[in-house]
Amino acid sequence: MKSLRLISAVGLCCVIWTNTPYPFKVPSGFPPPVYRFQNNPRTKQGFELGRKLFYDGKLSKDGNFPCSSCHQQFAAFATYEHRLSHGFNNQFSFRNAPGLFNLAWEKEMHWDGGISHIEMQPLAPLLDSHEMAEDLEDVISRLKKDKSYTALFNQAFGSPGINSQRLLRALAQFTASLVSADAKYDRMKRGEVHFDEYEQKGYAIFQKKCGHCHQEPLFTDFSYRNTGMELDTTLLDYGRMRITGRKEDSLKFRVPSLRNVFLTFPYGHDGRFTTISEVLEHYNSGIIPSATLDSSLARGIPISENDRFYLISFLSTLTDSSFIKNPLYSDPQAMGRIAQPVEDSH
Amino acid sequence: MINSSKAITWQTRKFITGQVKAIAITFLIFLMTTSFHKADPVTDAKLIISFRAYVHGVPLELNKEYKNPFGETFEISRFRFYASHIAPVYSDTNVKFNGRSVYHLIDFSDSVSTRLALPVTPGLCNGIRFLLGVDSLDQIRGAQRGALDPARGMYWTWNSGYQSFKIEGYSSASSQPAHIMAYHIGGYRHPFSTIWKIRINTTDDIAFRLTKENKIMVEVPIELDYFFDGQTPLHIREISSCMTAGELAWKISENFIGSFNGITLSKNP
Repeated sequence: MKSLRLISAVGLCCVIWTNTPYPFKVPSGFPPPVYRFQNNPRTKQGFELGRKLFYDGKLSKDGNFPCSSCHQQFAAFATYEHRLSHGFNNQFSFRNAPGLFNLAWEKEMHWDGGISHIEMQPLAPLLDSHEMAEDLEDVISRLKKDKSYTALFNQAFGSPGINSQRLLRALAQFTASLVSADAKYDRMKRGEVHFDEYEQKGYAIFQKKCGHCHQEPLFTDFSYRNTGMELDTTLLDYGRMRITGRKEDSLKFRVPSLRNVFLTFPYGHDGRFTTISEVLEHYNSGIIPSATLDSSLARGIPISENDRFYLISFLSTLTDSSFIKNPLYSDPQAMGRIAQPVEDSH
Repeated sequence: MINSSKAITWQTRKFITGQVKAIAITFLIFLMTTSFHKADPVTDAKLIISFRAYVHGVPLELNKEYKNPFGETFEISRFRFYASHIAPVYSDTNVKFNGRSVYHLIDFSDSVSTRLALPVTPGLCNGIRFLLGVDSLDQIRGAQRGALDPARGMYWTWNSGYQSFKIEGYSSASSQPAHIMAYHIGGYRHPFSTIWKIRINTTDDIAFRLTKENKIMVEVPIELDYFFDGQTPLHIREISSCMTAGELAWKISENFIGSFNGITLSKNP
């Protein structure tokens, strides 16, 4: 019994010595997350490895397209000012890159919910010929050739070896850690600040007209809905139906979170709306009826000129400036400097 | 005197309560171990299983030209499928062994993968059963290793999920670029699930006994004639590819399971 205790104590010390546990904090008022780092306990080393991989062009065919090329921190990890994200060989993807935050609460990912687990998500852009255009085996062999990764994988997982599971788990340690819960809205909820009159009015309108789908505190109910956007005949994107093969799901897309909405323009699954005003006008007057149109939108959502002004005041309180400036999430090569929006870098 | 006898009683009581506590704890531990660790069934017999593919009764060779029942020529360059929960079908209904949830990727370009030796419970049997494809719960477990490593080329990245099987090659009947023929069949969502519980009896229902000593090899033939000429006639000219989940994939998977027909037995060489 004594020896058993000794062995387990020594074992525990070894694990702690190589891996620094890094508990995940659920922000106050948030529901329990879906991804709880099951089978992939969050450690400082695992998180740091995931962060390095996220910013490393080695994961793409020509070295130019790390995850961060389409997911830029200053845009809450969406693609700044791009309708459609673009990748290898000057090709466009067919959707707007969403911001990355609070992913630990997402049961499914992508506009059509095609991804069923956060650890498997990176495979989509990694292998897509329009995005990173890579092959999983090639990425792994490239990482194996890089001495720095040999050590980092060893530290993160407690034994030598680089394989797809470790690559995906490390990335999930980083991406699931991107928590945005410190906007003015959150500080108001915590009683640290007050909304001004406009924000308060906007909040009341929001709760009445938008909050049903964009449910607080994550500002989405994670459902798929047809919001009456006309089919773009060049993209032929039928959304959720592409995944389920069911006619009932035609033209349904996931309700996006509105957190950081000021930073994630353009809007819509194909980025067709440039400004928030355009989106609001769509709900006010632009809804195209179709068989699968969401029942709550049959008559549109009347939004007056005044409503719009107040709503925009409220939506600005969802910008989390400490999230986009958090050096923990920035490029480790940049030594704490945060990238800024520039004219198109590619 | 009275005092000392009282003291003895107290000590005895303390001793007895201690004993009771110890017994109760032992009993609890016993309960916990028995309820949480169901006794594993005895699995000291071996089922040796060999998957073999045929076209019109002739053993399939990859990259060799054949004709399907509709007279269309084709060759297969890749042929893989997932099998798990492989177990004999026992004549004795008291044997409760449902196979292990270990996934095997049967890949006809790697002959080692087409033959498996699996520990099973001894008993009298008259068939085998297994799960084709990857169970819906195992589809959403996150990054995995071994047969379920996404690097094995059976994972759909944009519509998360493992394909159940893949038959790929060329056919002059195909109008695809380079005459490609590609059936990447998957999907685990209702109503178009391509995951099937397959149960195949021995030809003529011959019984066989698996014991520790008696090693029997079970050959599972896959006759691709039935893959093409199945429930849904699969003319390559009309359907030369299917690479998404949905109704068509489901229909093609139905054809595929129809190509598993009557296992044969031989003494393990």
